Parts: sequence; structure tokens; C-alpha cells
Amino acid sequence: MKKVNKKLLGFSASLMMMGAATLSQAETLKIGLAGPVTGPVAQYGDMQMIGAQMAIAKINEAGGVNGMQLESVIYDDACDPKQAVQVANKIVNDGVRYVVGHLCSSSTQPASDIYEDEGIMMVTAASTSPDITARGYQMIFRTIGLDSHQGPTAGNYIADKVKPTKMAIIHDKQQYGEGIANAVKQTVESKGVNVVMYEGITAGDKDFSSLIAKMQKEGVDFVYYGGYHPELGLILRQSAEKKFTAKFMGPEGVGNKDLSAIAGPASEQLLVTLPPSFDQRPENADLVASFKAKDQDASGAFVLTAYSAVQIMTDAMKKTNSTDTEKMQKAMREMTFKTPTGDIQFDEKGDLKNFDFVVYQWHADGSKTLAE
Amino acid sequence: MLETALYFIQQLLNGLTIGSTYALIAIGYTMVYGIIGMINFAHGEIYMIGTYISFIAISGLIPLLGIEYLPLILIITLAVSMFISSTYGWAIERIAYRPVRGGNRLIALISAIGMSIFLQNYVRIAQGSRDIAMPSLIQGGWSFGPPEGFQASLSYMQLFIFIATFITMGGLTLFIARSRMGRACRAVSEDMKMAGLLGINTNRIISLTFVIGAALAAVAGLLLGLYYGVTNPYIGFIAGLKAFTAAVLGGIGSIPGAMLGGLLLGVTESMTSAYFSSEYKDVVSFGLLILILLFRPTGLLGKPEVEKI
Repeated sequence: MKKVNKKLLGFSASLMMMGAATLSQAETLKIGLAGPVTGPVAQYGDMQMIGAQMAIAKINEAGGVNGMQLESVIYDDACDPKQAVQVANKIVNDGVRYVVGHLCSSSTQPASDIYEDEGIMMVTAASTSPDITARGYQMIFRTIGLDSHQGPTAGNYIADKVKPTKMAIIHDKQQYGEGIANAVKQTVESKGVNVVMYEGITAGDKDFSSLIAKMQKEGVDFVYYGGYHPELGLILRQSAEKKFTAKFMGPEGVGNKDLSAIAGPASEQLLVTLPPSFDQRPENADLVASFKAKDQDASGAFVLTAYSAVQIMTDAMKKTNSTDTEKMQKAMREMTFKTPTGDIQFDEKGDLKNFDFVVYQWHADGSKTLAE
Repeated sequence: MLETALYFIQQLLNGLTIGSTYALIAIGYTMVYGIIGMINFAHGEIYMIGTYISFIAISGLIPLLGIEYLPLILIITLAVSMFISSTYGWAIERIAYRPVRGGNRLIALISAIGMSIFLQNYVRIAQGSRDIAMPSLIQGGWSFGPPEGFQASLSYMQLFIFIATFITMGGLTLFIARSRMGRACRAVSEDMKMAGLLGINTNRIISLTFVIGAALAAVAGLLLGLYYGVTNPYIGFIAGLKAFTAAVLGGIGSIPGAMLGGLLLGVTESMTSAYFSSEYKDVVSFGLLILILLFRPTGLLGKPEVEKI
């Protein structure tokens, strides 16, 4: 039953793609924007969508690509791996051949299998799990750094600047959270930091009082959390209620304004590793003004990485003077792109050659400042 | 030694807090099951709606009326939330369950699951899918223990949850045991047809059951909403699952069973996190459920179902 379905799907997909390829000559080039439009982490999806849509608007204003206009099509995966696979199949069926997304690593991973098989180019602006590009795929790129970079950045900062006496590492048992927690654990342990607790929690849980009591009993003075903001927000809030005063640190998945809404004043306890604030670069002043004119916020961690994701694809189309993803991916591994996130190059795996994360101090009003 | 004891007390208090709210939600499952033998899967969603109504009432209605006295805020919010949630409970029964009640039990079950999905998505569309947060209203608490070592603490919020839960449950028990309506509930639960023949309006009693269950879920919604300070459209599912487990653990259909099951589940979860690892808390609590059902298929306080002839 399943096999027949797959074959049918593949057949109809290839039919659709042929149809789309001929159509697109005359009409528009569709770019799929896949990520969470709904669900608890939808605000990250928003960042990606506004960044990519701004890029599409700017490129269209400048005359499009090779005489064609771009068109965005939004797909909602709700950061759910099962839904991400459905979305990927729908993208195949819709004849879309370029995807910016997905957002959550656990969604990007299964979806990228389908894109690779179908020759669809996927550029993620937010997924940081190293596994995604570790499988020798040709069509999968990313315009953001990796957990294996972010982890050491966080770990080195903890070991060199914070110097905790007893550290706890907590993660949410998902690909992203556990992956980064592991990377941090390795770094800090190699530098001799005393990790007294390493524990997983369940994403979606609301009560962390037992965990907090346990950390209090162990005398933990620093906590690294691998995961997203809804859980960390609650952990911070409940810690403050229980007068547990340790400092916390998290990856870019916790750094957004909703965290401050949940945790309130307790968010002053938090350090976050984030991509550098690309919106602060002087070169981007005009672009940031265009976002402001639309009443959008360019400071979100994935806004300009998504902008770059669209731009590298269109630059590659211009360079190869074709829309063939096979030609594009070869060119992309050799080109240097001038994007709002800097001059970027890709390595063989499709990862950026250099990408540095920066440590920020988070604040109760949802803003951030560079941590010393 | 002192530290170990304080730590144990702290975890016990944490477990009882979460357990008492499981129990409040579990009562809704157990009452409906006790009377019409059906599992109301939409019950967790009523709890979720209860948290939303509480949040809306506290952040919208109260400032509008200009009230600043905390107990009054809580009472008004509770009243509004219980009333609206009960209306939902009543409407769900009328729309989704009564028309299919005569048929196969499976039909009602599917209808309930459909209702649950509908409510979840309805709230998602109406309120958005993001977490909604609210600052804590009840702050502070007591701490025990040496100032430099580990201190056990009991927050006013936790105490408020215990008191509110026990008052609500005590009230419900009295209502079922003493009042005329309560007697009718017990009669319908024992034999619906016979109760109908003796002049009890069974439809009304069933509606009442849903209304009471929904009102208790609204109480849990307010308490947990205040305690955690966040809500989203998906919290009903997990809370419902936990409460359902609590109801089965205590013996579904039995009200004291639901209370016992809820507390036991909460304490088990908390103790597993405390002495083992929070990764395994669900494994242990659901493992416990399987063990109890293997050795006592009717749950801790459930009565074996007698075939009515």
C-alpha cells in the first residue's frame, strides 16, 4: 500500500514539476517559505517569513531574476516533524523548486531528505543542527551557523568568563536542544568545569518545581539550557519564585521577546548566544529602514539570514543564467555572496565557511546587550 | 540529615500541588464516566479554555472595572470563568454527545475526539498559537531551613491551590452525598433507565454532570494559569491525558478515586524527578498505571462493574 502511494506520488510529482518548469518560463519563479506559521514557536517563523519576503520584494523591484519575477508561497510545518514531511511533499506536488526553510532542526532533517531526492534546493536560515548537512547532500544549504560552533562559543564563555563552581546542563530531549547541550557539555568539561547535573525535560511541560528543587539541593550556580523559550521562560519564572538565583544561559532558540513576557524580571538572569546583530551593521541601514517602513522588526535573529537565503539562490541563478538547481548548487559552492549578513562562502557540505555566534545579556523588556 | 528531610518535604509539596490540580481535572472525566459510561475527551480543552477566560478576565475585565483588591479580583475571575466554561460544557454535551447517546459507545468517543480537535483549533484561530503570559498575582511564601543550606519553601500560591482544591472537592462531595440533585446523580449513575422511570429527568442530570465537570476544570484553569503564568491552545491535551490517567489510576467513575489518583500521580512524578531523573517521570508514572491496572483492573478505589440485568 505504502509503496504504491510513494510511486504514485513520485509520478504525479514529476508530472507537476514538468508542468511548473514550462509555466515558470512565462510566469513567476516560486520560492517556498517553509516554517512554523502556527504553534508555540511561530514567532521564529515570522522572522524568517518577513526576511525572505523583503528579499523577494527587493529583487522584484530591481527587475527580478533573468527576466522573471519571484513569488513567495508560505507553507506551515508548525515545527512538527510529521507535518514538515507533509509540507515537503506538498512543495514537491506544487512544483516549487526553491525552499527557504525549514526552521526547527527536527523539521528540517526529515524534509531535507525529500528535497534532496527531488532535486529541490533548500536553504535554511535557522536550523543549526550539524546532522542536517552531515549526510553528503548536494541541495541543502544554510545561511546560519551550527550548534557545533554555537556550543563551543557558549562553552568557552562559561569556562573563561563565568567560571561556575557547580554547573547544570538541561535540555528538552529534541534534536536541537540535546545536540547543543551536548556540544556545550563537551566544551566545558574539556576546560575543567564541574558539571553536576545533566538532565532532559519534556517539551510542553509546565511544572519544573521538582527540577529546580533538585538544582537548589545540588548547589548549582550556573545552568545551561538547550531548547526553546516556552520551557526556559517557565524555568526562569519558577526559579525566581523559589529564590533559586543561579545564572542561566541558552542558545538562540530562547532569545526572543516572548521569553521576557513569560519570565518577566527573571529574564535578567539570562545569557544568550545569538548570531551577531546584522541589523546593526552600517551597510544595512537602508535595508533596516525598509523593514521599519513596513512596520517590521529587522532585529530578529533569523530575519536577515532568511534575506540572505533568498539572495544566494537568486545570485546563483543570475550567475549560471539558469534556474536549474543542479547547476546552481555547483556554482554556489564556488561563489562569494555579498549579503546583508556579510560576504559569505559555502563549504562542500553546504555550511557557511565562517559564522560567529556572540554572547548577549538578555533583559526583562526583551532587549539584549553585548555581554562582556 | 536535615537537608535530606527538607528536600523530601519540598518535593512532596511540589508533587501535591501539581497532583491536586490533576485531581480537579480528573473529576470531570470520572463524573461523566460514572454516569453515562463515556470518556469525554474534550474535557482537557475545557480546562484550556478556562485558563484563557481567566487570563482575559484578569487582564481585560478587571482593569476595566477598576478593581485592585486581590481577593475580589480572584472571586470575580473565578465566577466569570466557571460560568463561561460551564456554558461550554453544557453546549458540548448538547451538540456533540446527546444526539449520539443512544448509539454505539464508539460513536460518542469519536465525537468527543472531534470536539477536542475543534476546540483546540478554534482557540488557536481566535487567540493565536503563541504562549500568552501574565505576571504573577500572588507572590511570596515561607521558607524553612538553615539560611546557608537547602531551604524548603511553600509559596502562598501553592497554599492557595491546596485550599481552593480542598474546598472545591469538599463542596462537591457534600453536594453529591447530601443534596437532592446529588442523590439524583447517584441514582442515574446506578441505573439510568430505572431513574428515568421513577421521574428523574435524566437528560437534565447528564447536562448537570457536564456543567459541574466544566466548572471544576475552570477552577483548575484559573489555579494553574495563575501558578504557571502562561497558557497556549495546546495545554489541554497533555493536562487532559494526565488527568485521565489520574482518573483511571484511582478507579474511573469514583470521585474519591479521582482525588487519590491525582495526588498519587503528582507525587510520583515529583519524586521521580527528585530522586531519579525528570526524563523518566512520564515513564514511571505511566508504568505505575500499567502495574495498577494489571493487579487491580478497576483502579485503586473503583468498584467492579456489575452486569445489570
